[in-house]
Amino acid sequence: MEKKRQKEILMLAIRAGNIMMKSGAEIYRVEDTIERICKSCGIDYVNVFATPTGIFVSTDNEEASNTVTYIKRVKSSETDLTKISRVNAFSRSFTTTDMTVEEGMKILDDIADSKPYPFWIRAISAAVVAACFSLVFGGAAADFAVTLPVGFMCYILSRFLEKYEINFFIRGFCCCALAAFCALVASASFGAVSYVPVITGCIMLFVPGVAITNSIRDFLSGNMLSGVARLAEACIIGVSLAAGAGVIIEIWYMIGGVSL
Amino acid sequence: MTYIISMFVPAVFAILGLAIIFRVPVNRIPACVVVGALGWLTYLVADHYLSSPVMGCFFGACMVGLCSAEASRIFKEAMTIFVIPGILCLVPGAKIFYTMEALIRNDIEDMAEIGVQTLMMAGAIAMGLLVMGALIKVFRALVSKTVTVKDKL
Repeated sequence: MEKKRQKEILMLAIRAGNIMMKSGAEIYRVEDTIERICKSCGIDYVNVFATPTGIFVSTDNEEASNTVTYIKRVKSSETDLTKISRVNAFSRSFTTTDMTVEEGMKILDDIADSKPYPFWIRAISAAVVAACFSLVFGGAAADFAVTLPVGFMCYILSRFLEKYEINFFIRGFCCCALAAFCALVASASFGAVSYVPVITGCIMLFVPGVAITNSIRDFLSGNMLSGVARLAEACIIGVSLAAGAGVIIEIWYMIGGVSL
Repeated sequence: MTYIISMFVPAVFAILGLAIIFRVPVNRIPACVVVGALGWLTYLVADHYLSSPVMGCFFGACMVGLCSAEASRIFKEAMTIFVIPGILCLVPGAKIFYTMEALIRNDIEDMAEIGVQTLMMAGAIAMGLLVMGALIKVFRALVSKTVTVKDKL
């Protein structure tokens, strides 16, 4: 096999792995996908080491003994389960049919460019999620009504901060601070509203569920390094959420707003 | 019973919303909501009758793990798609807040108690997923083995 050809296959595999990792797939799936794609094209020796922030792949060929190694830095972005599902389906069809590398690259480009649900639908869902959780955490109808717009605003703020590449700690902090501020103002203005369900409902929008789940599944498949990394991420997000709400409530209390 | 229903119905809409935020493929959203709803129902029942949210989280996570493994087998999809929206309800978001609130009130005892409970609930979710993952692996290995033995006979 020519070295150029080997590199093309490797680039395709890396591309698929990169899309999956960015969208929030677990390590096992990324490593497995890259390995399968390379092996299906006749590369005998493939070793993949993936972490949430980077993918390392080394391939070797027995006949020509070409070693090609590639390191890809992964910048994580929004969780997008459709991309994971589509790349998964792609790798299955790529390995079982005789699709060419160029065709495969085109499909991957298409997947990478696919857009999430329209922004307003996601923002409304976020409002519904926050409001429903406020009911679950003991809110009444008034809390539900207040949490709807507050959840909506928090989600928009979080997208806005993400657009300017603010890191996840500050993002969680700011969003929860906004939620706490709105909740306190609402509970001070309307007697029927209590601020606890409003804040807890909004917190549920930002809890690190993805990080916890992936961390467990990484541990389960023996990827200790990324398991620990994602567990740490989950803890830091949790702290940032609590700190955001806490700081605002503390300040509110200190400047003599309505007492707790 | 009314308590369980009043907790169950809003959570179903919340799971639906989470599925949209995380962009579950459109044709998989119903299955995703069913998986999440079953997990949350298990949590509610276990929490209500055992009066322990930690055990509730454990059994809820077990249920989500089991259902999403089944769903991923049926639909030939990545399991992650069903697990993530389903497990999010179980994450103790309210407890995180109450821990912080106790800290603001300068009530260290309360903070330690709720904080430990929060960590235990998070740990229980992890344990539930781990145990279920391991059980499913063993079960599938056993099933495939019995099939081959039968074939030989």
